[in-house]
Amino acid sequence: MKILKIIPEKCTGCMRCELACSYEQTGTFQPSKAVIRVSAFEGHTSYAPYTCPQCDEAWCLTACPVEAIGISPAGAKDVADDICVGCKLCTIACPYGTMFYDIDTHKAFKCDLCGGNPACASVCPTDAIVFEEADKTDWVGPFAAERAKSPAGPLAGVL
Amino acid sequence: MTDYAYAGEILRVDLSSGKTWGEKFDVADRRKWVGGAGLGAKILWEEVPPEVGWDHPENRLVLATGPLAGLPVWGTGGLTVVTRGAMTNGATNTQANGFFGANIKYCGYDAIVFQGESPDWVYLHIRDDGVELRDASGLLGQDTWETQQSLEKTLNLSGHNLSVYSIGPAGENLVRFSAIQGDYGHVASKNGCGAVMGKKKVKAVAIERGTKGVAAAHPKALFAAADDIAHSLQTDPSTKGLYLYGTLGGVRNLQGMGALPIRNYTTNVWPEEVETKQWEANGLREGFDHRGHQCSACGMHHCHMQVISSGPYKGQVVDEPEYEGWSGAGWTIGATDPQQVTWMNTQLDRACVDVNEFGWLCGWVMECQQKGYITDQDLGFRLEWGDIDGANRLLEMICKREGMGDLLAEGTKLAAEKLGGEAQDCAIYTEVGNSPRGHDHRSRWEEMIDTCTGSGGTMDTAPPVFPTDYDLPARVHPQDAEAVPKHVGGLRGRRAYEDSLGACVFTTRAPMDVLCRSIQAATGWDVDKDEAMQTGRRINALMRAFNLRCGIGPEVEKPSKRYGSTPVDGPIAGVSIMDQWDKMLDIWYETAGYDRETGRPKPELLRELDLEDVAEALWGANV
Repeated sequence: MKILKIIPEKCTGCMRCELACSYEQTGTFQPSKAVIRVSAFEGHTSYAPYTCPQCDEAWCLTACPVEAIGISPAGAKDVADDICVGCKLCTIACPYGTMFYDIDTHKAFKCDLCGGNPACASVCPTDAIVFEEADKTDWVGPFAAERAKSPAGPLAGVL
Repeated sequence: MTDYAYAGEILRVDLSSGKTWGEKFDVADRRKWVGGAGLGAKILWEEVPPEVGWDHPENRLVLATGPLAGLPVWGTGGLTVVTRGAMTNGATNTQANGFFGANIKYCGYDAIVFQGESPDWVYLHIRDDGVELRDASGLLGQDTWETQQSLEKTLNLSGHNLSVYSIGPAGENLVRFSAIQGDYGHVASKNGCGAVMGKKKVKAVAIERGTKGVAAAHPKALFAAADDIAHSLQTDPSTKGLYLYGTLGGVRNLQGMGALPIRNYTTNVWPEEVETKQWEANGLREGFDHRGHQCSACGMHHCHMQVISSGPYKGQVVDEPEYEGWSGAGWTIGATDPQQVTWMNTQLDRACVDVNEFGWLCGWVMECQQKGYITDQDLGFRLEWGDIDGANRLLEMICKREGMGDLLAEGTKLAAEKLGGEAQDCAIYTEVGNSPRGHDHRSRWEEMIDTCTGSGGTMDTAPPVFPTDYDLPARVHPQDAEAVPKHVGGLRGRRAYEDSLGACVFTTRAPMDVLCRSIQAATGWDVDKDEAMQTGRRINALMRAFNLRCGIGPEVEKPSKRYGSTPVDGPIAGVSIMDQWDKMLDIWYETAGYDRETGRPKPELLRELDLEDVAEALWGANV
């Protein structure tokens, strides 16, 4: 199965993935509606995008009381808007914080891998996000643990 | 829908009354003035009469972005600052990038216009529609990086979720060449815009990443145009180096043509002991632990953070200097250790002054000390060539206006005029008062004539970008007295247009047709390269008209004695620009369509540019 592989060392924090993602979600450029988000570490010297890793054991899916979350042909856990009642249980169940709630539509929304051609990966200018076969899902954890360490490392705690 | 590519509102802030309000960005004005420099020029012309000097409360400080900001074209977080500036007391057009333009548009604004003067120090906080002037007394004395950190703590936001553009101690104390810095390393540095912000008692603008969207007329075409611009940047011989290394390549390249200013223009030859390799682009990049720190949607390997790897400042995180930093904080003042220069460069960003002007000032003081025109007693200490700790001490004196720092805070021109005599003869400045960029312009005639004739407090045309788009030769000899002014005058307009888009001038370096496609897709306008140029020329003409109304005319369009001197060594030893100066100006005026005698844009040009009212103001109703 192809998944979004994140290589945080390559990310420069330009947020272009958020723009492309929000365009897929809304038709406009509105990062507040993006389902990929870029975090900064060590005060503007390290960045990492993160989005739904499409967990095998998807807690969002099992937590949903109305069975609004299914698996799309692209392999993404996907929210069916016509079934979702906006109870937000999935946003609490998700351990990665990558299930979102839209205050305008009152529905949950998340990464659906753009139906198999993820926009974030195609617009990333540094190839920090690639869509490929992989068996690992936690790309950011070890990076975040290392880069957010303080006061170790030359870049930590200085800014 | 008429709001494609625009947020649609201009945020007005009256600091005297504390009132803020949104004003519609008139749809009819958008295509005529675009945004950024164009919008700013219009406001300056309409709202700042000649009796309102740079430090008058009624001066306007315009922080504007443009239609490409917040969209997926590379490098589109652009900020353009337009004001009546402290160096020339005339129009200012100066840029920084980062995330200003993106974040403010997601809040629903295309620009901020400050007027009035606050009774107490404030910062402006913007979050979607929530706009508030807040007490900034706790931020006073903090440098620009500290200010951003403080506001991140106060507002509990990190990364690009908060953009902070602030002044440092220099701006607080009205240092004439103080700047506005944002998002760790992006500086709108020209013409003392920081002093204007300081005079208005605005310490910072803090913009949260708003939640609103920006629509494009043809989003898929916009992605396609953005990709084509990116492809051009990555592959065209004129931009590939910029794509890979930003402006780092400039040091070695310009040194080779005698355009790297060394020790205040006293020589054009590198000292023998210099390790050439470490000054090449990859040497400067790989000499440090470095990380990308890109602006909104940008894929250039340009803006970086780096860690100082040796010496007294080892371990400190700094902003990788631009070419201008290696020059102004380095070669100009005789400093040749990259580890020290990069530290000094960030000190200048943090205290927040223009790195070019500091270089000319510090280099001048060093030379004057060496020659005895400024004694140790005058200065309070001995400042030798290349003394970085001394340079930093000088910076502190300037920022606090201590001792001789009070005079130096007025900038090179005014300080040199005050000292007069032989000391004045060594000083690098323009008679109009703006700071030359960090090159030895005696070898780059296009930049010297552009600096001296520019109306925005710096160069108007800047280095030629795809001149063949406008039927001009791809390149001309930099000391060709006929071809150079034709190039500078002939391309006049393109840069002002770029400065109005909310984009970075390094990512707009694509063929004009390709750039226009991105603007068409964003706005829905059928704009082409001729309209773009026409719009840019309109902006340039209006800024010039503003300056003329302020009493700044052609009589001050010349370099200081040292700035226009003849190099004594190096690749262009003995070649004199001043021998050709009048002839070059004649050609430049002819090409630009300006009247040589009065400096005014000719009435027929103004009419062609749809500036009937300006024609009338400059030439009278019957011309």
